[in-house]
Amino acid sequence: MTTMETAVGRPARTMSERLSRFVAKAPIHVALIIIGAIWLLPTIGLFITSFRPSSEILSSGWWEVFTGRWNFTLENYETVINSQGMGQAFINSIVITLPSTLLTLLVAALAAYGFAWVDFPYRDTVFLVVVGLLLVPIQMTLIPLVGLLRDIGLYSTMPGVWLAHTAYGLPFGIFLLRNFFITLPRDLIEAARIDGASTWKIFRTIVVPLSVPALASFAIFQFLWVWNDLLVALVFAPRPGGLPMTTQVNSLLGTFGTEWHLLAAASFLIMLVPLIVFFSLQRYFVQGLLAGSVK
Amino acid sequence: MRKFKWMAPAMVAALVLAACSGNSEESGGGGGGGGDLAEGDGEISVTSLWGGAEGEAFQAVLDAFEEKTGIHAEYETVRDDYATVLSTRVTGGDPPDIAIMPGIGFMRSFARDDLLIPLEDLGIARADIEDRFAPGILDIGTVDDVLYAPMVKFNSKSTVWYHPNDFADRGIEVPETWDDMVALQDNYDEPAWACGCADTWNLTDWFESIYIRQHGVEMYDQLFGGELPFTDQSVKDSIAEMAKILNDESLVGGITGAFGTTFTDAIGQTFAADNQAWLFYEGGFVGGIALGQVNEDLVIGEDIGWFDFPPINDNGSPVTIGGDVIAAFVADSDVAEFMEYLISVEGGTVWAEQGTIISPIIGVDSSVYPNELISQEAEQVANAEAVRFDGSDLLPAGSPDLGATLQTAISNPDGIDQALEEFQTGVENAFADAEG
Amino acid sequence: MSTAPAAASTSEATGSKTPRILQGWNAAALVFIAPAVLLLAVFLIYPAIQTIVLSFDGGLSNYQRLLTNDPRFLNLTFPPRGAIVNNVLWLVFYTGGCIVIGLIVAVMATRVRYERIVKAIVFLPMAIAATALAVIWRFVYFPNERSGLLNAILGIFDIGPISWLGDANWVNFALIVAGIWGSAGFAVVILSAALKGISTEILEAARVDGASESQIFRRIIVPMLSLPISVIAVTLTINVVKLFDLVYVMTSGGPGNASSVIAVQMYEQFSARNFEYSAAVAVVMLLILVPVMVFNVRRFRSERVVA
Repeated sequence: MTTMETAVGRPARTMSERLSRFVAKAPIHVALIIIGAIWLLPTIGLFITSFRPSSEILSSGWWEVFTGRWNFTLENYETVINSQGMGQAFINSIVITLPSTLLTLLVAALAAYGFAWVDFPYRDTVFLVVVGLLLVPIQMTLIPLVGLLRDIGLYSTMPGVWLAHTAYGLPFGIFLLRNFFITLPRDLIEAARIDGASTWKIFRTIVVPLSVPALASFAIFQFLWVWNDLLVALVFAPRPGGLPMTTQVNSLLGTFGTEWHLLAAASFLIMLVPLIVFFSLQRYFVQGLLAGSVK
Repeated sequence: MRKFKWMAPAMVAALVLAACSGNSEESGGGGGGGGDLAEGDGEISVTSLWGGAEGEAFQAVLDAFEEKTGIHAEYETVRDDYATVLSTRVTGGDPPDIAIMPGIGFMRSFARDDLLIPLEDLGIARADIEDRFAPGILDIGTVDDVLYAPMVKFNSKSTVWYHPNDFADRGIEVPETWDDMVALQDNYDEPAWACGCADTWNLTDWFESIYIRQHGVEMYDQLFGGELPFTDQSVKDSIAEMAKILNDESLVGGITGAFGTTFTDAIGQTFAADNQAWLFYEGGFVGGIALGQVNEDLVIGEDIGWFDFPPINDNGSPVTIGGDVIAAFVADSDVAEFMEYLISVEGGTVWAEQGTIISPIIGVDSSVYPNELISQEAEQVANAEAVRFDGSDLLPAGSPDLGATLQTAISNPDGIDQALEEFQTGVENAFADAEG
Repeated sequence: MSTAPAAASTSEATGSKTPRILQGWNAAALVFIAPAVLLLAVFLIYPAIQTIVLSFDGGLSNYQRLLTNDPRFLNLTFPPRGAIVNNVLWLVFYTGGCIVIGLIVAVMATRVRYERIVKAIVFLPMAIAATALAVIWRFVYFPNERSGLLNAILGIFDIGPISWLGDANWVNFALIVAGIWGSAGFAVVILSAALKGISTEILEAARVDGASESQIFRRIIVPMLSLPISVIAVTLTINVVKLFDLVYVMTSGGPGNASSVIAVQMYEQFSARNFEYSAAVAVVMLLILVPVMVFNVRRFRSERVVA
């Protein structure tokens, strides 16, 4: 964790040294390029497909476009974007996802800190139970929760959705963050304690600043999960008018057919925001995960 | 009073059990007739799995209803997870006013849990509406002699799709018998049939069409009513007939290829510009998808048409249909008015005009359908000697997938007995669950 | 490697004997833990208890049927079939595949300058919603050369076409490949991060001593990655037992019952409103994972001691 320099090593000094290095690494380049291609191709296929008319999607593969036969069309995107309520659904997606992510982050970080650095009875047992909750299938929780949230007035409200997503995200969040927090330097925390800092102050001024990478990486996981969720929104989101983008696609599809053209365009539209978030936070992400697993 | 019930699990458990066993406050005591219906608030919620063109057509019906009555119907489409979401909302105590039921078994499980409102409680007596429908149609939505869910739209599943021009070019006659239909393949050098057998309901439709013609309506009713086991020889006989067309020689891509092809892709194989297949069996809704999504240049009667699924023996050619029923979860005057509208000639006509459905209401004139593919389909059903509902949709919810069983049986003939035994086990379990 | 975590870990490992540096834990613990515990109690623990209670509705009959009379779930013929057997297939090949790909990419990428790009590409599928997976893979696995990328490529070599999702012999592997494609990014990120913890001096020293790259990989890199690998394995195992979306959107468990998994069975029973029976399936899922969780916790405990 402390060694941040890469294995690429020191820069090559001469042309010939560079060349010989490159040749020595040729198998690596080949392997990485092949893997990269395999990983990228399906998504590229989806991307190209989203610009093809449905009649062509149903009669030939997307790579046909490289032979020059491409009736490029924006119609699929137009249909999806112009569908009744799409703008509202996009806003709803944001309104659902942002608070759900931030709230989970806050509650999970607090608890993870508690499990890592605050002593209390049965701490490890409680932690074990929390991690064990990763295993509960969400479907099984829905029916009791609908009745319960109705009784406390949170059913079919945005706060209800936020709380549900927060709860479902907590086990993984606590698990991940706690494993990061216990690797923080003990001396630092002890010193602060001796200086008279409160438990809360230690959390705020030492633990959180040192854990930005871990917090960011968990935030992205949670963001992806909530953004792509269909089921929780369908059950708990306010209706009508509170449903996110993932559910919006429903209204475009018939009972029997599969509208590949609309699904391709919609998939890309839905993917757009997570991709922006992912790329803008990637550096935290890569560092952050190192956290839980490596000492 | 129940504000903090989650703190007492026992209490909550009792409550959930109560919720499961029925929301008596909303069902109005049962059988009380229409006079004491609660007054509606001018707004109803309707949930279905119809999106796209089907959703737009239904919206037109809702708009016409609002125009007429001033009652606004808020429409929500749920497609993926429909069963889960509907089940969760209803059991959790937040049902929509009205919902479309996919599968009769699903509707029955709601009815048996006392979650549905009988039509009678909405002030609609069966005797008064009986003559609006063809005989037997209302039975489909009846559970334990109580009518809950009238069928409001359906499609024929006895339509075989082909290229009329291609038949003319090759000098092929429309088949009069099952043997003729099997022999169609002889006119082609390459496999001529497509099947979207990855969507297993395509296989169940094949099976049902064959079974009802081979063994007659009585045995069909027994088989799908749980009185005749699926291990019966008659089932194996029909699977053997199926395999005369669903085989490696007749199917584009062979059996496994067809098992990896979805319904829409199979229509694509049959009707896209550069088509590989020439023949395709599925319901009347194929036309709309072929014309709307696959190939807008298709000319009805030249590039696309259908013929009747032909008789196999002297059991004739009963027509199988698939369709959706509508049921109410809440009893009030608005809901009653909406239900009455949907089963009226007026409402049925508005819907039929949209061109996505066949109305089961007799009074809807076949001239209102916008194209001949659909009006012929309506006539086929209207003139049928017997009409039966899609059998696999009649099996209780929780039954294993009949289509999946057929996949196993067709791809591995040696395993038929075992596959059918396993299926029968599952069906018996499901019947037990439905009754218990 | 830093020494500070070691100090923390030692105290963690010894548990209650640790000198309590954060005295007055009562109030503090409550403040930090309470929000999470409250939410978890309401949204997960309470429904989980209900599920368990529900599954025993009718005594043990649900379990009896599940284990002895539901061939879709478990069929003890030879060779054994059923959803649970497919989960085992997934466990072996999906978990193994993700770790192998993760190792290859993580180890190799640290030695090239486009490291971040490669990792971003492999991570990309994690941003894709499950419903989009069916669409993406339809274009790869379509059973002919015209519309299926894989068959088009094999067609160049005169192989196939193969119906990847329609042939019971291929379908599980086709799905597992799609699963690996979706999850390998997770393994790559964790492993490459872990690799950065291995000091370059050790590697350089080994190279100077004349060790081959494969020796370095086997003797130095793999042993040092054993902890993160076990973390990944446990996480992916949980994924496998809960696996649902991918299978459901791509094959719904077909053809026949060939690709079904436990969670698909649970979902189908739930959709059919057989709540008691689906609860029993859920409880079995939970029980399967208990040993994994125990192993997991032990692992983390020992990890603390080791570190």
